[in-house]
Amino acid sequence: MKHVIAPLTLLIFIAGSANAACYADYKAKRDAPLRLHYGVSQINGDCTVANAQSELTDRIASDKWELLAVLSVFDENGLEERRGNAGDYYLRY
Amino acid sequence: MPATTISAIEARRTGTRFVLLCIGAIIAILLIATAFLLFTLPDANAFNARVEQVFIENSDLTGQAELRLLEILAQSGTAFADTLAGYRMVITVLLVFATAMLVAAVAALVMLVLLNRRMAQIEHSGIQVNSLILSREEKTVYLNNMAFKLTEAAIETLGVLAEARMDDEMLNGAEIEGMISGRNAADCDEASGATRIKRLRDALGNQLMTELLVKNIARKGYVLAIDKSVIQIV
Repeated sequence: MKHVIAPLTLLIFIAGSANAACYADYKAKRDAPLRLHYGVSQINGDCTVANAQSELTDRIASDKWELLAVLSVFDENGLEERRGNAGDYYLRY
Repeated sequence: MPATTISAIEARRTGTRFVLLCIGAIIAILLIATAFLLFTLPDANAFNARVEQVFIENSDLTGQAELRLLEILAQSGTAFADTLAGYRMVITVLLVFATAMLVAAVAALVMLVLLNRRMAQIEHSGIQVNSLILSREEKTVYLNNMAFKLTEAAIETLGVLAEARMDDEMLNGAEIEGMISGRNAADCDEASGATRIKRLRDALGNQLMTELLVKNIARKGYVLAIDKSVIQIV
């Protein structure tokens, strides 16, 4: 029985980490007059910078923001330290 | 055709070409300067692009206050670009004025040179016939507005010569005689035409007039040694 439980726990742990929420912080701009913002947003697909880039470009374009760069992707552990800098754009999009 | 007339016309021609060249060069230089000015001065977006670049390249520039500062920087840049547009306008207007002034200056300069050359020619030749007005009714010829009474025959001779000069033709004695008497030139005597010329010169003052007005070109004929544009027949 013990031989069964150990791999099962491992499986659950791996699945849990794969399901963990993924977040990205990014920089965006709007032209005429130039407006800049730094934001944090949740990513639904793969937790990679490339995926975050494609997802965020569409999402913020609805408010006429243009994505400049995705800085990094992280899980909920990284959220709190970025809340202050993101301000209004913390998990807005 | 008298040599002085040729050189005067040539001087005017080269002068015109020179003036056109100078004016063209001035306009070309100032056009290039204007184009350079308009296309190389930064526009409003240059400042925004630079601020954007700073924002992207510095990954730790994420604070709220820092972003507001960057935005203010971009706005002041844009405001300065508006000022630059105003400057550009003023500079363009000044350049246009400068072009006009330079063109006028070159034209005036060349005119002065030509005038000087012409003055030298006038001084050299002594007397210049500026106007020759032939009045058949009054039997008078006006040279530079000085009236000379002539006989009927002399007026006819001068009239024939003036018409020939206006057509750029040269007449020999026989042709002159033929035109005045109405006969065929081949039937006329060269000597009778020469006599008419001699009488005309006698009436006007002989040697002086020979040099200045009624010239004889060897083996070609007689011609009025004046510019054809000054001749008027009334």
